[in-house]
Amino acid sequence: MRKLDEQREILYVIRTLDVLLSSGVGLEAAIHTVGSGGYGIISEDFSAMMKRLRKGSSRGLAPELKTLIKKAESEGYRRLLNTMYSNVTQNTDIVETLRKQGVRMENERTEAVKKYIEELGAVPETLLSIGMIGPIILAIVGLVPQILGDGAEAIVGAIDQGMINSVVQGGLVITLIGMMMIGLKAHTKDPGL
Amino acid sequence: MLFGLLETFNNSPLLLYISVIGIACAAGGIPPMMERKRRRSIENALPGLLESLSDTVGAGRGIQEAMMEQSRNVQGPLGALLTETLEESHSSSFEAALSAFAAKTRSSQVQRVMVLIETAIEQDAPLQQILADLAMDYERLNDLMNQREEELLGRGLLIVLFVSVGLPVLIAFIVGLFAPSSSGFQIDSFNQTFSLFFGAASAIALGVSGRMLGRFKDALWWMPLWIALSMGLYLGAVVMIGG
Repeated sequence: MRKLDEQREILYVIRTLDVLLSSGVGLEAAIHTVGSGGYGIISEDFSAMMKRLRKGSSRGLAPELKTLIKKAESEGYRRLLNTMYSNVTQNTDIVETLRKQGVRMENERTEAVKKYIEELGAVPETLLSIGMIGPIILAIVGLVPQILGDGAEAIVGAIDQGMINSVVQGGLVITLIGMMMIGLKAHTKDPGL
Repeated sequence: MLFGLLETFNNSPLLLYISVIGIACAAGGIPPMMERKRRRSIENALPGLLESLSDTVGAGRGIQEAMMEQSRNVQGPLGALLTETLEESHSSSFEAALSAFAAKTRSSQVQRVMVLIETAIEQDAPLQQILADLAMDYERLNDLMNQREEELLGRGLLIVLFVSVGLPVLIAFIVGLFAPSSSGFQIDSFNQTFSLFFGAASAIALGVSGRMLGRFKDALWWMPLWIALSMGLYLGAVVMIGG
């Protein structure tokens, strides 16, 4: 969940930091602006970091960024934090790097959306296959003892209706779980627009 | 006739409860749809506004003057909101007007853009370039969002219609044709099991469809109605075909 939230907000954070830093705002003030809200989980992270810095319960901005790098789950967020860390410790050109990162992440996002649309192309068919074949087979299984009557016992021996009902119910539950697992793809592969 | 129809489902109180809940929830599902339509219309017009602002600022005008002028040119809810906000801003500051405009649009895209414009004004940053960059960024973002919507809407509808409508009717047809209760088949418990299955399958289908389009929470409002429809279609079709 955290990874998805990070992926959803990271590009906006990069663009905001780019505008703020190229306008002459300092890095700490820029972090404070992002931390004041509007950027989901990243705002929460930055806000907590600034709170610790203000209280004096931290060893400084660089160690705080280092801690956040360990906490970050998405590659883009980790890269942004690394850039900020390099700027704090080695005084690198953060604006230029942010611009490059922004362009790269935008390309990645476009690719991710195209891939998402492509991958979800097969979801309706798969969902319908499982959702239709399962109940059709199970409906037949559930009705066979009654349709064939004594003929069924002659073929497969004594049939316990209770057991047949359990098999049908179990099968339907498995079908539902299968449908859910296929549908889960729509959530886990979301590009975070 | 309505009572007669309800009597048919007397053996399935769950279906009757969910139908009532579904109708109530459907009323709650309409405002998010309208709100989304309004928000997307504002967001789709945003890059055009930013581009025009960039051009006007580049021509040497101030941002406030540029906004005033553009508010008269931009069509739709964005233009109307901008005009309304700027007219109200006579009694307050321009920054307050920008914040009020962002809040009124209820769009995170517009809110982010307004925060950036405010910061750029405070810092005396080159507005023309910033506005042009923002216009390009948000144009690309909206293109992607629209592409996702266009390409996945059909698939999402297909899933819901097939699983919630097609599947129950198909199984009801098979059951009603081969094991009609009018011929003495004992299928009450079988029907109960299958109607519950179709309700659950319908909920999953709607959830997946909603998630695909990035509006799962909005889809939740419609879930009880689709569950009831699916269960009702199955039980109704079994009675109609099998007697």
